[in-house]
Formats: sequence, structure tokens, C-alpha cells
Amino acid sequence: MEALIRRRAAYVCQSCVRGARQQLWRNYSSAPPRPDIYDVVCVGGGPAGLSLLTALRANPNTSHLRVALVEAQDLSKIRSWSLPPTKFSNRCSSLTPSSVKFLEQIGAWEHMARDRVQPYQEMQVWDGVSGARIEFDWAGAAPNTGTTIAYMTENLNLTSGLLKRLEELGGVSTFDNARVENITYGEETEELDLREWPVVQLSGGKQLSARLLVGADGANSPVRSFANIEAKGWDYNRHGVVATVELEGEGWGGEFTKIAYQRFLPTGPVAMLPMPGNYSTLVWSTTPSNAALLKSLSPKDFTAMVNAAFRLSTVDLEYMHTQKSGQEEEYSWRMEHTPVDQRAVPQVVTSVQEGTVASFPLKLRHADTYVAERVALVGDAAHTIHPLAGQGLNQGQGDVQSLAKTIEYAVTHGQDIGVGMSLESYVSERYAANHVLLGVCDKLHKLYSFGSGPLVPLRSLGLSAVNALGPLKAFVMNQAAGNGIKVF
Amino acid sequence: MNPHRHDFIRSCLSSSPLTSPPHNNNNNNLSYLDVGCGGGIFAESAARLPTTLSVTGIDASPVILTVARQHAKRDPSLGQKLTYVNSPIESLTLAPVDIVTCFEVIEHVDYPSRFLGELVKFVKPGGWVVMSTIARTWTSWVTTNLVAEDILGVVPKGTHDWYKYLHEYELREWFGKENQREGRKIWGEARVMGVVFVPGCGWREVRGSEKVGNYFFGVQRLV
Repeated sequence: MEALIRRRAAYVCQSCVRGARQQLWRNYSSAPPRPDIYDVVCVGGGPAGLSLLTALRANPNTSHLRVALVEAQDLSKIRSWSLPPTKFSNRCSSLTPSSVKFLEQIGAWEHMARDRVQPYQEMQVWDGVSGARIEFDWAGAAPNTGTTIAYMTENLNLTSGLLKRLEELGGVSTFDNARVENITYGEETEELDLREWPVVQLSGGKQLSARLLVGADGANSPVRSFANIEAKGWDYNRHGVVATVELEGEGWGGEFTKIAYQRFLPTGPVAMLPMPGNYSTLVWSTTPSNAALLKSLSPKDFTAMVNAAFRLSTVDLEYMHTQKSGQEEEYSWRMEHTPVDQRAVPQVVTSVQEGTVASFPLKLRHADTYVAERVALVGDAAHTIHPLAGQGLNQGQGDVQSLAKTIEYAVTHGQDIGVGMSLESYVSERYAANHVLLGVCDKLHKLYSFGSGPLVPLRSLGLSAVNALGPLKAFVMNQAAGNGIKVF
Repeated sequence: MNPHRHDFIRSCLSSSPLTSPPHNNNNNNLSYLDVGCGGGIFAESAARLPTTLSVTGIDASPVILTVARQHAKRDPSLGQKLTYVNSPIESLTLAPVDIVTCFEVIEHVDYPSRFLGELVKFVKPGGWVVMSTIARTWTSWVTTNLVAEDILGVVPKGTHDWYKYLHEYELREWFGKENQREGRKIWGEARVMGVVFVPGCGWREVRGSEKVGNYFFGVQRLV
């Protein structure tokens, strides 16, 4: 090379020769690869992320968008998930009719194993200290609304149904078993200025440039941190203990009137939610030490504690939480002296499914905002709520529905979907509504944490009042179902 | 206001058999000429629509087109669909397009009649001319001059000359005269939609407000 230049350019100075040499090298080296550009990169393959991608793919107005899914876990496990009818996963959620309607719209509902979904028609909620009770059922509150309050579903049933629908629709570049190593910004070149575009760098080297980066990546969202959005709130110092249990029968209402139960104990609510057949899913919010104890118990002692939780007094329960074992005997002795209306509590738990007793910490978090330039947050990445009203996953579905609508509007009006102005309507539709729900569940938790004092009779009076006032009860039920008038 | 421009264009296209399916090949390859495109707010948004084949944005100011081109680089999807030309309408050479747009421009032009005459040369038979401007009323003076320029200062002083505002019936008359002059119906019935800016809510379509303030005006070339 140098010899060539020297021979042809005998009278050219050294630095020009050097410059010419560099030019030649640059022409021979390859240009930087054109960035892999997507319209939407969704980080997180849980219910929220999968729903969003399904909604975008299913809608003819947005189906031309180039979309990618990034998920740390192996999705093939979810695709091939299947359990016999006698076993149920311990992570279940109550899907509101509004969420189910959305899932029907995007075509995912029909791909779920419907024989594993349990609609329920009645809810019994009562105060563990005073016994004050509220009974929810549509037949009583608003006779023409249909009878189902909500649908108990295994989370895996939901996600595998969504994945099946996504496969049917096609068109999603899926990167599973892929961790997000880093998120940076793009560069400016001759033809493109991608300095405001987030670039997701995956383990393995792949780089995805996102017109809109969606954080559906859970409560500790890395996308949220990347966007410098803080999430404020507090830890409840409580754990949610879950388990799949088998009861002595199909429920007091039989196969077609399934009943959900929730008893508010001072340590937290304990809920028994009906699944198909004689099975139920348990969600017991309690102190970390109680949770640790429950997880350590033998199956017989565990089932005794669960039965006790719905029947014995709070004093009895407190004592039983101090025993390292032997709750089974303790329970049967104490039950001899405790009058209980059988039909007001769940049927007796006869066994717990092996390996399903687990717990997770409870906290409240709300992100300061849901969007930044070219970033949007949905689901737990945006907000975390107390499970006592079964709203968390439904809030995520509500977010997705709203964001999909926002994206559709932007696309049909020629807007760049990632630009702040395009995303504003998503925040204004969801933020206040989520904030109110987070607050209400937080105050309910706090209200029912009192084991004594003036708040107990006051809250009992309030509960009984709502129980007696039909229109007010219907209002509460509609709000919880997601089909009430939009108050916020 | 930009989203409303697209809603208005869609309502124009679907109002005529010539420009709605099935006669029009499903509207999937529309060409646009955006006159007075400025920084390209409308031109970019039109180029992004899947139904658009090409958008040519023209403006007399080279400075603003530099801004427009720089902004367009931020969106890889615009690529070949969007072109900017620094030329006044009088000296432009371009094949006729499906839709000629002219938003918030005609109220800044000294000789609107001549300007319109130049502009309409570029629309194909069956295509649409879509404009927006402001009516010449007390209300529009108060909102666009007094409040926007003098009181709040959100618009630079001198941007709007109230005497240049046009009523929708004046535009209608212009097209009617063209029909008379040619002795046949070249231009169809004009479509008009008034829009009002509601602080806190944004722009809203308000029927009848074209008599008072901002409005869209669309007219189809029939032959």
C-alpha cells in the first residue's frame, strides 16, 4: 500500500501520504451495521407484556408495526405448560369481567384452558374481630348484570393462552432466555439521528433500537430505572402466603354458584378463592414471621391452620402461630369450643397440594409517571398494590388496553408513537384511576389491621351499612369489576 | 391540531365515491403536496401513514427546511417517502398529486386569489385540496391577536395580520367563480369543519365555529 502511494506520489508530503493511506483503509472497511429498528420493544413477557403485543398484533391498524418481545425466562416452558385437572399452580388471579372482555377482544380468551378457569358468583367478606359481614352477589345487587363476579385463573393459564394467540398471529420477534445487559441511546449518522432512541442490549450481543420501549418488566423494572422514573411507596411488612388446597366438596353453592371468601384478620386478610372441582387457591397476607412458620409446617398442621384462619378467634390464631407444630390437635380441641356457622365459611380444607406453599413480600409502589420520551410503563413496573381486592393484574390489563388504544390513535394520525405528545393520553387515562385504587386498598389494609379500639366497631358499622345499601353495594361491585362509571 | 387534519382529510376522502373504496384502489398509494410545510409537522405525519406513497413539502424559507430535514432524520420510517423542496408555489415543478394541503398558510399570503390559482394546478382529477385558515371576526381578533400575541405572548407579535383572514364563504366563492369561468363543474361542493381550542382539552371540532374562528376547508377536483 505504502509503496504504491510512494511510487505514484513521489512529490507528496508525508502527512498527505498518511492521510491518503487512511482514506483507502476506510473505503475497504465495512460501514457500521444499520441498527435493528423496531417500532415497539416490550421488555417483559408476563401478562401485561404479552397482552400488549397481542393487542397490537390483533388490531389491523397497528399490525404493521415491527414489534419485539424480550423475556429473561424460557418461554417454551410456558408454551408447553400443562397440568392434570387435579393439580393447580399456586399463582392465581381473579380476572374481572372487564379484563376478560379485553382478552376476548384480542382473541386470547379462547386459547386459555377454560376448564381450568373458575367463574364465581358470590363473595363473602367479613371482619375477623367483630364478625361484621358483607355479601356480594349480582343477583342481589343488580339483577340484570349477569351472575359472574370474576374469574379465578392460574397466571400460567393466562400467559400460555396469550402466547398461543401470539403464535397464531405471528409477526413478533421474540428474544427469550435473554437478559437485558444494558440500555443506551442510539447515535447520529449521515442519514439518521437516533440519539433519542433507546437501544436495548441483550446478553449474546443483539441490539434492538426502539421507537417505543415498553417496560412490562415487573415491580423492580430496569426500564423504569433507565428512564429515571422513581417509584414511591412503602413495604407493608407483610407476606402473601399462597397454596393450592383441596376442600371436602365443591363449595356450599355447588358447581354453579362458586363462592369466594375473605376474612380480615388483624395480621392481614386470608382469602379462599374457588377453583374448578373441589380445589381452591389460598392467599393469606400475614406477617413475615407467621409466613415463615406457615411454610415450615407439615401438610396436616398447615391445613389445620388454614381451617382455623376462617373459624377460630384472633386470640386462638395468635396462639397457634407460636406453635412450631401440633396445630392439627390444637385446632380440633379449640373447635370443640367454638360455635361456627358452617355455611358462612369455606368448606373444610382436607389437603394441600404438595410444593404449592410459597410466599412473596407485599408492598405499595406507584411510579411518578408512566412515560418518558420513547418509554412507557405498564403493569407492575408502573404500580404495585396490596392483593386484598384482587385488582393488581387487572390494573395491568387496563393499562395495556389504554396504551394499545393510545398507540392506535397515534398510528392512525401519523404520529411518532414514542414521542411524549403521543403518549400523554395514556398517562391521563390511567394514572389517577390507578392512584385511587392503590390508595383505597392501602386504607382498607390499614383499617383492618386494628385488633381493638374504636375503629373496630366503626368499620363494622360501615361494612354492615354498605351491605344493606343496595345501590352503594352495586356501585362498589361495579367499580371492582372495572365496568363502573369512570370516577377518575 | 395536527390529528384533526387527518380526521378531516379522511372525512373528505370517504365522502366521495371517487376517493373511497372500491373505486380508488383502497387509498393505499396517496401522494401529497404540503404547501408551506414549515418544520414538517404535517408532512411527517402524512408520510408515516401506511396509505401514503409520497409527500412533497415545499416552503419558501430555506432555514425552516433545514430544521425540517434535521427533524425528519429522527424517524427511519420516513426515508424515501418524504421530500422537501425549497421553492415558492409559483416556480414549483411537480407532477399532480392526490392531495394538496395548505394548513395555516393562506392567511399569511398577500394575494390569496393568485396563490390559490397556483396551488390548485397541482391536484389530480378526483384529488382534494385541503386547507385550514381563520375567519375574520371579532372573536378571532381577540383570541389570535389580543390574547395570543399581546397578552400571553405565546405567538410572536406580528405573526397574524387580521386583515388577511378569510371567511369560508369567500373561499367557496373563489371555487364557484372557477367553475363559472370554465363553464363546467370542475370543483365539487366544499366541505368545512370548524375547530376551537379549549384550554386544558385541546382542539375540538365544533360545527358552526367556522363562522367564528379556525376551520378546515376541503374541495374536490371533479375533472
